[in-house]
Amino acid sequence: MTAGLQGVCRLAHRHHHVRWSGALVLVCVLGPRVAEAHEIGTTRVVAAIAADRSYAIAISSDASALLGRLELAQRRPITSAASAAEMQRAFDAVCDEVPRHLTVRFNDVESAPRATCVVDAADAAPADPLNVLGVTVTLEGVAPAGATTLRWRYGLTAASYALVLKSSPVAETIWLDGNEESRPIALGALAAPPSRAELAWTYLGLGFTHILPKGLDHILFVLGIFLLSRRLRPILWQVSAFTLAHSITLGLALYGIIALPSRIVEPLIAVSIVYVAIENLCTSELKPWRVTLVFVFGLLHGMGFAGVLRELALPNSELLTGLVAFNVGVEAGQLTVILGAFLCVGVWTRRSEAYRRFVVVPASIAIAATGAFWAVQRLS
Amino acid sequence: MRTSLSSRKGVLPVVSRLAGVVLVAQLAGATLLAHDMWIEPTTFTPKPGDIVGARLRVGQDFIGDPLRRDDALIEQFVVQAAAGRKPLVGRPGADPAGLLRVDASGLMVIGYRSHPSTVEQTAEKFNQYLKEEGLEAIAALRARRGETGGVRELFSRCAKSLVLSGPIQPGEGDRALGFTLELVAEKNPYTMAAGQELPVRLTYESRPLADALVVAINRTNPTEKLSARSDANGRVRFRLPHGGQWLMKAVHMIPARADAQADWESFWASLTFEIGDRS
Repeated sequence: MTAGLQGVCRLAHRHHHVRWSGALVLVCVLGPRVAEAHEIGTTRVVAAIAADRSYAIAISSDASALLGRLELAQRRPITSAASAAEMQRAFDAVCDEVPRHLTVRFNDVESAPRATCVVDAADAAPADPLNVLGVTVTLEGVAPAGATTLRWRYGLTAASYALVLKSSPVAETIWLDGNEESRPIALGALAAPPSRAELAWTYLGLGFTHILPKGLDHILFVLGIFLLSRRLRPILWQVSAFTLAHSITLGLALYGIIALPSRIVEPLIAVSIVYVAIENLCTSELKPWRVTLVFVFGLLHGMGFAGVLRELALPNSELLTGLVAFNVGVEAGQLTVILGAFLCVGVWTRRSEAYRRFVVVPASIAIAATGAFWAVQRLS
Repeated sequence: MRTSLSSRKGVLPVVSRLAGVVLVAQLAGATLLAHDMWIEPTTFTPKPGDIVGARLRVGQDFIGDPLRRDDALIEQFVVQAAAGRKPLVGRPGADPAGLLRVDASGLMVIGYRSHPSTVEQTAEKFNQYLKEEGLEAIAALRARRGETGGVRELFSRCAKSLVLSGPIQPGEGDRALGFTLELVAEKNPYTMAAGQELPVRLTYESRPLADALVVAINRTNPTEKLSARSDANGRVRFRLPHGGQWLMKAVHMIPARADAQADWESFWASLTFEIGDRS
């Protein structure tokens, strides 16, 4: 035995070790260290940072490896859980330990996230012994105002892993070794938070383009309204009813108060187009029910708009700004359609019979046919 | 170990009783610079007919991250039984990385030998890692050569696991698979119980490797590590105080070959098995 043997040693906790180790035991205190890992493991980290600065970092990892490290850190006995349910119970006891082994640093400010640990399929039947149980740890918190970069370190894996940062419009993947601290990664939307005016302008543009040129069904509906009569009053009545209605449902749907699946809303929008076009063929008078029906159809169209706006993931703090601006944009789009239509048919204003025969009737037939086609298409 | 001590027995009777075993320093949670790699079978004691998954794990304290099957890294991934040697099959990217069907009763030796990988480290981290892995001889060699810069290192894995199917067959034991660095149990661990002594031999290129640090870690008590230096015959003896799963490991380093485009080359041997509780 070489003298070097005694160089690596430890306080013996158990009496039978004390018997052997005796005076030879030295206490070696190992300080915190940086790991160097090389092989690629199964851990994966996805950090999503929303424009409202809330973040969710999902660490998916091997359940037994992570559990062992957490239990070791808390000096608990190492459990070998057999089932997902047992594993979940064991994680519930130590999940709070996770944030102590990682760093979430925005610029130079360290964030203290909450951690939740969910074992994959913890409610499922006992797993096949050949399967490996996974766990997802979700860290949630809020980045400080003005944060432009994120630094990340995760000390609960020995292998290399991928960190995916999603911070619209930035999505970046970087590879890190266990316990290695990342370089500062630039955040997207947070790096230059848009001012309210910029946001309003963006959503106004979105609303406008949602009609012109993207919203052919809305364009046809508005043209249907326009074709009823050449006089301004009926057009104004209908446009006002339509605008009021779709503003109401757009707002309600956006705040989650009402919800109608698009497989119902979209065919009904097509039906509304058919209806206004057919009524144009029968009459050029503004009947009282026409305004009511346009209002009802407006409610449907508003729900159609809401789907689009929701997909854009507006931050909660800017919901009202976005809603109003988007609506104004939609209005501007509709008025542009009507103005364009006025400019096109203005020459016909003197001879109303010819206007009806050569414009209203063929255009309404075409609109009704298109609407009917869409209705069938959207139902199937 | 015993052999080298025997000449000093009269002088140091107390030391001889140690049988080369001390507990290794390790604070819970302290992160080591380099990581062990070992095989974790889905069961150490399958029945004939069972399918056993050989999981590859990398980590420390016998707590490891899964390594998926990477055919580009596998030099050998085999099981040696009385009937012969056969490869472990597996889908690329799978964890467990290899599967084997247990054909007959007896002791099986699962082996995983990787191709080398490269890692670059700063001088500071490399020196720390040499100390942690008991590679002071390399640190001394570096000092003599006046090497103070960063290091490019090749490393490869030589992992083994002993699995027993059915009853113990007399005369069966661990076998050398011919890995560059290899730990071979000189007694069948499945005939042992907690508290008994297990002699293990460390070989490099099939010859005994002396003065290498060998560490033994128990699954449920990972912070109480046992460690010893191999004697002139490459042998260490560990009295294993607990039943259950054990990991033994050793690292050997040599100057890299001139054409290797690296400074040093290391080999990481491990051996996993299970023993019964105190009888």
